[in-house]
Amino acid sequence: MSAGAITIDGLSKRYGEKTVVRALDLRVARGEIFGFLGPNGSGKSTTIKMLCGLVRPTDGHASVLGFDVARETERVRRVIGYMSQSFSLYGDLTVEENLEFYGRAYGLAPERRRERKREVVDLVGIEPFVRFRSATLSGGWKQRLALACALLHEPAVVFLDEPTAGIDPVARRDLWNLLFALAERGVTLFVTTHYMDEAERCSRLGYIYDGELVAAGTEEELRRLPGVDPPDAARYSVAAEEIMLAYAAARRLPYVRDVTIFGRQLHVLTEAGVAPERLRADLAPVTEIGEIVRIAPSLEDIFLVLTRGREAR
Amino acid sequence: MSGAFAVRGFGAILYKEMIHVSRDPITLILALALPVVQMLIFGYAINTRVQHISSAYLDEDRGAIAVRALDAFRASQQFDLRYAARSRAELERLIVAGRVRAAFDIPPNATADLRAGKTVRIQVLIDGSDSTVAQQAYAAATAVGAQLAREARGGSAPPLVEVRPRMLFNPSLRSANFLVPGLIGVIMQLITIFLMALSIVGERERGTLDQVLVTPIGAGGLILGKIVPYVAIGFVDFLLVLLAMRWVFGVTVAGNLGLLLLLGLGFMVAALGMGLWISSIAQTQVQAMLLTFAVTMPSILLSGFFFERELMPLVMQWVGYAIPLTFFLEILRGIILRGAGLDVLWPSVAGMLGLGAVLIVAATLRFARRSS
Repeated sequence: MSAGAITIDGLSKRYGEKTVVRALDLRVARGEIFGFLGPNGSGKSTTIKMLCGLVRPTDGHASVLGFDVARETERVRRVIGYMSQSFSLYGDLTVEENLEFYGRAYGLAPERRRERKREVVDLVGIEPFVRFRSATLSGGWKQRLALACALLHEPAVVFLDEPTAGIDPVARRDLWNLLFALAERGVTLFVTTHYMDEAERCSRLGYIYDGELVAAGTEEELRRLPGVDPPDAARYSVAAEEIMLAYAAARRLPYVRDVTIFGRQLHVLTEAGVAPERLRADLAPVTEIGEIVRIAPSLEDIFLVLTRGREAR
Repeated sequence: MSGAFAVRGFGAILYKEMIHVSRDPITLILALALPVVQMLIFGYAINTRVQHISSAYLDEDRGAIAVRALDAFRASQQFDLRYAARSRAELERLIVAGRVRAAFDIPPNATADLRAGKTVRIQVLIDGSDSTVAQQAYAAATAVGAQLAREARGGSAPPLVEVRPRMLFNPSLRSANFLVPGLIGVIMQLITIFLMALSIVGERERGTLDQVLVTPIGAGGLILGKIVPYVAIGFVDFLLVLLAMRWVFGVTVAGNLGLLLLLGLGFMVAALGMGLWISSIAQTQVQAMLLTFAVTMPSILLSGFFFERELMPLVMQWVGYAIPLTFFLEILRGIILRGAGLDVLWPSVAGMLGLGAVLIVAATLRFARRSS
C-alpha cells in the first residue's frame, strides 16, 4: 500500500446559498490514474480548483502529498501540475516561450530549465513546432503543450480537467498514451472526463453528482454496487432497425425495468428469467430486431444507474 | 498568508509581458500615439475658443480716454468688440443672453476725471460659466488694465486708470490656463487604467490567469511584473504629451522638470492601482471597459479638471480625494504653471502616493485571497 497522494475529508464549497461540493471524502493513492466523473455542473472543476489552491474550501480539509491545500498552498503548488479545461497558455507566445515562461514561473534555474524544456519537448513530441505561436497549433498539439508546461517542474501529482475535450480521436489516444507513460513513472493523475472509453482506462473512478460523491472505486467495485447489476434482473443488448420505435415499445413492457439507447443498440434491464426470445417476440411487431445478447453493465450503465438513483431521491 | 506580497515570479511575468507587448505592435503604437492625438484635439478645441472673445462695451464718456481704452482692448486680439450698448442694463442683458462673454463699462466723465487727477475705474464684466474663456478674458483684461495704468500714471503714485474685472456667475475662477496641464493628467489616467485593467481581465477571460495562479508566482510578483511594462509605456506617453504641450501649445514648465517627471511616474503607479482594482472586480473585458468609463468620467469632473473643486458640494470634494487624478492635477498645475516645489506641493504628493499605495495593496490582497 503506497502513501496517499490526495486525501480529502469532508471537503465542501458553498457560494452563498448554493452548495457546489458537499462533504466530499476521497483517497487517491500514489501512481494512480484517478478518473473523476460526473455530469456538467456537478462540482468536478470546483473540486479540482480547491485541490490546486485556486478556490478556498468553505469546509473540510484536503491535502496533496501531505500538504494542506488551504494552509500550505505554496508548497502544494510546487508539487502539482494543472491542466485546465480550455487552452490556457499564451497564444501570442511561441511554444518555446510558453515553456520558458512556465520554467521561470516555477523558479527553475537556467541550466535546469534548459534541461527540463528539452525533456518535456521530447516527451510530448512537440519539437517540430517549438518556434510556432501556440495559437496556431491544432487542438491536440495545444493540449500536448499544456501538458508539457504542467510537467516542467516534475510534479508528483497532475490535475487534468477534461484534457481531451474537443480534440480529435487520434490526438486523444496519443494524449492518453502520454498519461500512461507518466503513471508508469509514478506520477499520480487526477483526470476528469466525459468519455467512457477514457474512464475505462483509469485505475480507479469517482462519480460525483450534484456536488456529492456518489461512488468511488475500481470498475469492478462499482459494478458490484447495489442496484447496478441486481441478481433478480438481467441486462441485454438489443440491436434494432428503428431504434426509437424499439425504445418506446420496450419501455411499455411490464417486465422491463430500464431502457437506454446506446447508438444502434438498446440496453434493456429485465426481470430475471425473461428469455431473450420473449423480448424479441414483443419488440418484433414495431421494427426489425437484430442480435440480442446478455451483457454485463458497461461503465455508462453504471453511471446512469447511479445518476437515476440520485435523481429519484 | 505568508506570500501575499512575495514578488516571486516577477521576472517570469516581466519576461512574458515584454513578449506580449512586442507581439502586438498595433496596440503599442495606439497606446503611444493616442495620448498625443487626444492632446492635440482637446488642446486645439480649447485654443481656438479663447481667441476673439465676443464682447460688448458701454461708452458713457465719449472722450479721449474711452477711445484709448477701447483701442487697447481691441489691440490685445483677445476681444472682439461687437456691440455698443446704450445702457448698463443692456450690457448685462447681452451677457445673460450669451451674446457676449465680456463687457466693458467706461464710466461717464472719465476723460474729464482723469484730467482732474481722479482715478477712473473701468469695469469688465466676464461671463464665468465657461471657465476657459473666462480665465483668458480675465487675464487679458488685467494685462490691458496694467498697460493703461502705466500710460496714465504720469508720475503720480496711485494709478489713475484702474481696470476691474468682475466674474459673473462663477466668481472664484483662478488665473492662468489650467486646462492643458490638466489634460495631461486626464489622458494619462485613461490610458494607464485601460491598459492595466484589460491586461489582467483579458487573462482571466482567456483562462490563463488560473494557469498562472497555480504556479508558485506570488500575487506581488504577478502584479509587479504587470505594472512595470505599463509604467514604462505610460511614462513614454507622459514625455510625448509634455513635448506636445511645450511645442504645440507653448506652455512651458515653470517649475522643476525632474520633479514633474518623478511625480508623473508616481501618478502612473497610482492610476495602475485603480486599473488593478478594476481588474480584481471585472470578470470580462467588456465589464472592465465599462468600469473604466464609470471611474474615469466622474473623475474628470470631481478632480477639478473642468470645474473648480471649491465650487462643488463638500461631499463631492471629499469624493474627489479618493481619485489620484485630483492630487495629480494639483501637482501638474502647481509645477507647470506656478513653478511650485515640493515645499508647497507635499500634501498633494503625499495624498497621491498614499492613495496609490492603498489601491495597489488592496488589489493585491484581493488577488491573494482569491488565489489561495
